[in-house]
Amino acid sequence: MTVGQRPGREPPRGTRAPDRRRGAERAAGAAFAVSTLAGLGLLVVYVAGGQTQIEGILLALSLGGLGIGIAIWGERLLDAHEVTEERHELSSGAEGRVAFEAALTEEAGPPLRRRSFVLRMLLAAGGALAAALALPVASLGPAPGRSLKETPWRAGTRLLRQGTGEPIRAADLVVDQVLTVVPEGSPDAADAVTVLIRVPPGELRLPGDRADATVDDEIVAYSKICTHAGCPVGLYRAATRTLFCPCHQSQFDVLDGCRPIFGPAARPLPQLPIAVDAQGNLVATGDFLEPVGPAFWDRNTR
Amino acid sequence: MSTVRTPLKWLDERLGTASVARATFRKVFPDHWSFLLGEISLFSLVVLVVSGVFLTFFYTPDSRPTVYDGPFDPLRGQEVSAAFDSVMRLSFSVRAGLLMRQLHHWAALVFIASIVVHLCRVFFTGAYRRPRELNYALGMGLLLLGLAEGFTGYSLPDDLLSGIGLRIAYSVSLSIPVIGTWLTYLVFGGEFPTHDIISRLFVFHVMLLPAILLVGVAVHIVILVLQKHTQFAGPGRTERNVVGKRLWPEQTFKSVALFLIIAGVLAGLGGLAQINPIWEYGPYNPFSVTAPAQPDWYIGWLDGALRLAPPWDLTLFGYSIPELFWPAVLMPSVVLGLITFWPWIEPLFTRDRAEHHLLQRPRDMPFRTATGVAGLVLFFVMFLEGGNDVIAVLLDVPVETITRLLQVGFVVAPAIAWVITYRVARNLQVGEEHPGLPLAGERLRRTPRGGYETEPLEPVERSSR
Repeated sequence: MTVGQRPGREPPRGTRAPDRRRGAERAAGAAFAVSTLAGLGLLVVYVAGGQTQIEGILLALSLGGLGIGIAIWGERLLDAHEVTEERHELSSGAEGRVAFEAALTEEAGPPLRRRSFVLRMLLAAGGALAAALALPVASLGPAPGRSLKETPWRAGTRLLRQGTGEPIRAADLVVDQVLTVVPEGSPDAADAVTVLIRVPPGELRLPGDRADATVDDEIVAYSKICTHAGCPVGLYRAATRTLFCPCHQSQFDVLDGCRPIFGPAARPLPQLPIAVDAQGNLVATGDFLEPVGPAFWDRNTR
Repeated sequence: MSTVRTPLKWLDERLGTASVARATFRKVFPDHWSFLLGEISLFSLVVLVVSGVFLTFFYTPDSRPTVYDGPFDPLRGQEVSAAFDSVMRLSFSVRAGLLMRQLHHWAALVFIASIVVHLCRVFFTGAYRRPRELNYALGMGLLLLGLAEGFTGYSLPDDLLSGIGLRIAYSVSLSIPVIGTWLTYLVFGGEFPTHDIISRLFVFHVMLLPAILLVGVAVHIVILVLQKHTQFAGPGRTERNVVGKRLWPEQTFKSVALFLIIAGVLAGLGGLAQINPIWEYGPYNPFSVTAPAQPDWYIGWLDGALRLAPPWDLTLFGYSIPELFWPAVLMPSVVLGLITFWPWIEPLFTRDRAEHHLLQRPRDMPFRTATGVAGLVLFFVMFLEGGNDVIAVLLDVPVETITRLLQVGFVVAPAIAWVITYRVARNLQVGEEHPGLPLAGERLRRTPRGGYETEPLEPVERSSR
């Protein structure tokens, strides 16, 4: 059975029906020919080793040619006409609903009719089973505990350059130099990533109790994890001495305890207290002064 | 004829298919281009499933480290995850692999885009009114599933760009009051970055979400068939009928052609338009960041909301509600909730709870149209802010200025859009001019005496309101 042999729809006056049909058939046939050639071409390209751009073009022609041919066929060669379908009532009506309700309850037997003993016990058993089955969800993750409030930094942990793992001598840092540092022993700990910056002498404006968190009031270390959404605060603008988060453009004033001065972040980057050990290397003197990263519900509780 | 008759007879004698299929094939489809938008989503989904199955054969959902030694020089010798390594192999060493990967990604973008445009069509023509409220809400559910599919999918390569997106999602999840930390640890398997997350995302992306999505699409279509199509008003079209073309043959030819053309366009994009070049971003590590960093377009409005939001964190009885909560959890819930439940919200204003099968023109419902346009403008402002760094570079303006302007725009622009749309709709209603169609011309008539006379035609065939 070929649909194409059906008479075409009524053509506009002035055009002879057979001409229009022949034209449409020719156009559809040409589209199918393009599709065939592209399909064969795709085979050749694939066997020859493949090339992404040519594959894309050929696949597009192969699919598109077929599609356009079928579109022409559907638009010009079908015996198309408009039909009207009546809508029927969607609702079953009050009677139908009552009958269904009866089938659900009355006809199902006495236990479903009222709150019988069996029905209650069935619900209890179902509830208990559901609770028992839901329990393994707890295996999906550990309890948060204090993990979000602590990092591997301890008093005496040396600061190492991220990547090379070398210790850092305070004297080697020049003004406005920025280093990404990680704790010795846990170089991959994501929550411990820290930026180390030397600022010009006399510029820092830290609260009084933080004076001993820096080295010579010139070298400061802050968490590299943005307090907004956790991106690495990757950019340092030396001109304004601000740290800039490229994700959502929060900006932190390095000289003022990394207080947020623009953007969506609400809290400063937590400071890591540092000092110089006997060998002249930078070490932490404890964990960050606050939990690092974005805030969470019980962030402020001990 | 026996090539058709024999198998039909065989099936019919066992399943009674002939009468059922005949009735189905006569289903009427109204002839209007806007009814094909949903089909574009459906066909993109088919392309997604087919190309996705291909990708699954080569992808390794494993975050364990390995050393890259493939043909892409700049990354050779670098430590990457097994997942990243497998996507690199798929892109550079598997024949037609890059084509399929890019085709899949483009199809995902088109899938969501066509759902959004389809939603707009349904919204602005009032197609969601009784009895179609449920199917509308189901469609919104499918859109949300599509967004989740998109996000889990582009996180799978474990590259730097998507890893940062994942980290932001983790932070958003942490910001949920009371249950945030526990929920986040259950979903991610601990503190970010965890070893489990890639394999979990994979299960969500290729199994759980597609299963729900496909069942949902099937139900969406079954309800459509049960309730029949809506239609625009016109001669012979009433609330009691549907006028259009039959499923077989007209609509079948149209739909098959549309499917093939969509697939062809997606294949062309997949071959020619580079998308998500993970080798340019490199593998994820928690120390680095790319800039400028933009997610796929349909997450852009959310990322923009994060950039736009003021630094408002709240401490309540010693507990913290982070600044992320407002733009990333509360605002999307409210906005998407309003859209989803709109079929139940609108009748509170219009008091119209009757059954409707004829569509409305946007101008005839100025309140709804203005509200919809204001909503679109709101999304657009957020979307623009999602690219604030790109715009800043393009216009050579500080990024802070862009953010400040769009913060004002977030409040002001939807209000202005509402007023303008309302007035335009009202004026169109009064003037009865169709913005898209020219005058229909003149009617030429032969008089009984053999001469000719002309009379002007109505501008547009008026639809009964």
